[in-house]
Amino acid sequence: MSAQPITTEAAQLHAFLDESLALWQIAGAVHPGVAPVMAEIRAASGAVAWVERAGEDTPFRWFVRWRAAGDAPGGVREVRPRACGSLVGLLAAVREALGVKRGNAVRVVAPEYR
Amino acid sequence: MIPVSVITGFLGSGKTTLLARLIRDPAMSRTAVIINEFGAVGLDHDLIETSEESFVQLSNGCLCCNVRSDLTQTLAELAARRAQGTAPPFERVVIETSGLADPAPILHALMTERDLIGVYALDGVITTVDALLGVATLDQHEESRRQAAVADRIVITKTDLDGADAVAVRRRLSALNPSAQIMEAMCGAILPAVLFDCGFYDVAGKHPDVGTWLAYEGGATYKVHESHKHSSGMSSFCIVREAPLRAVTLPLLLSALAENCGADLLRMKGIINVLENPQRPAVIHGVQHVYHAPVWLPRWPSEDRRTRLVFIGRNLRESWVRSLIDLLDAEVAEQAAKQASAA
Repeated sequence: MSAQPITTEAAQLHAFLDESLALWQIAGAVHPGVAPVMAEIRAASGAVAWVERAGEDTPFRWFVRWRAAGDAPGGVREVRPRACGSLVGLLAAVREALGVKRGNAVRVVAPEYR
Repeated sequence: MIPVSVITGFLGSGKTTLLARLIRDPAMSRTAVIINEFGAVGLDHDLIETSEESFVQLSNGCLCCNVRSDLTQTLAELAARRAQGTAPPFERVVIETSGLADPAPILHALMTERDLIGVYALDGVITTVDALLGVATLDQHEESRRQAAVADRIVITKTDLDGADAVAVRRRLSALNPSAQIMEAMCGAILPAVLFDCGFYDVAGKHPDVGTWLAYEGGATYKVHESHKHSSGMSSFCIVREAPLRAVTLPLLLSALAENCGADLLRMKGIINVLENPQRPAVIHGVQHVYHAPVWLPRWPSEDRRTRLVFIGRNLRESWVRSLIDLLDAEVAEQAAKQASAA
């Protein structure tokens, strides 16, 4: 296991996830992960989430694994990652991992100017 | 005297849509329009077709907080230009307030300011309330209740949307302001004659608080207007982006905003330079998690072809939204490149 070199993408992701914690008003921190983890999010509640970049050979972009607050290590969600097609899915997975109840599914209605 | 009508209503309730439709009516051809937006960068002027000479945009914050310096001065200058012949001979003024405006100081200024009396007369207040989120908005936001309470006419908007409850909104509004005429309009379609010429503004029959608010304004110092405060934590910011956005980025962005900002995002509107269709900007409007499908304008309304997105809400983080847009667009670009190389 080697420390993940901080790429531009990883640095941007760390900064963005840090901002996301603040937006959700969650106490916690984002750390560089150990390869293949790109970011490790540790909440004050004890919840941990690991974000990995999906390989080029998959139709996904991110994998997220997590251990919810109060869960024992080695649970299903920690072992079986959730595959995410975009940053939107990544955020949804991290919110679930950290127990963030927030927002609604977007609803698109008829155009305003007709 | 020149009649002045005030169009008010909470964020995203359909004020600009209503005004944009009204202005297209031939009966409104001699109308000067003053638009106030909460944010520092206004967009509504790009969405309303009117002559530049009789149009004023006030983007210095909320009109009710700067009523003396902004509104009184603007109206006085408009009247002077009209008299000199440098502005069209308008016969009516319509003021669209920002969605967070408390109308009381605006009405008070129109009724009592020395520079305005004798030139202008307050004709009436038209308040828009949307049928989808209106009841919740009235429950949650003092500004919204004040806007409804001072109205002569209340227009219930968005009645055609699934989940809209015009009956419940009407019931709530009738209790709040029994004297107002309440009507419905889809997409701002309503005859000017129904809305204007309300007669001299009269607080009789309105909610008892209205008289108190206006009387309070009489004792307020205008230089620093302290008679009201906007809901705590409310802020606005505008993101201006030089590079066009990819079309696929848009739905991802709206999803992320709705899911992560929730009800804290009170309003989002924007004019967007879409990479795949650079000649025609897309206009988007959203209230909380509800977005109208983008409308493609036939052309850019001005030389400014940058994407401009205005956000108004509580506890929002501008840097988060900026990063989100950049990261999503980069993600979409990478995916497109991947697909292109695979093909």
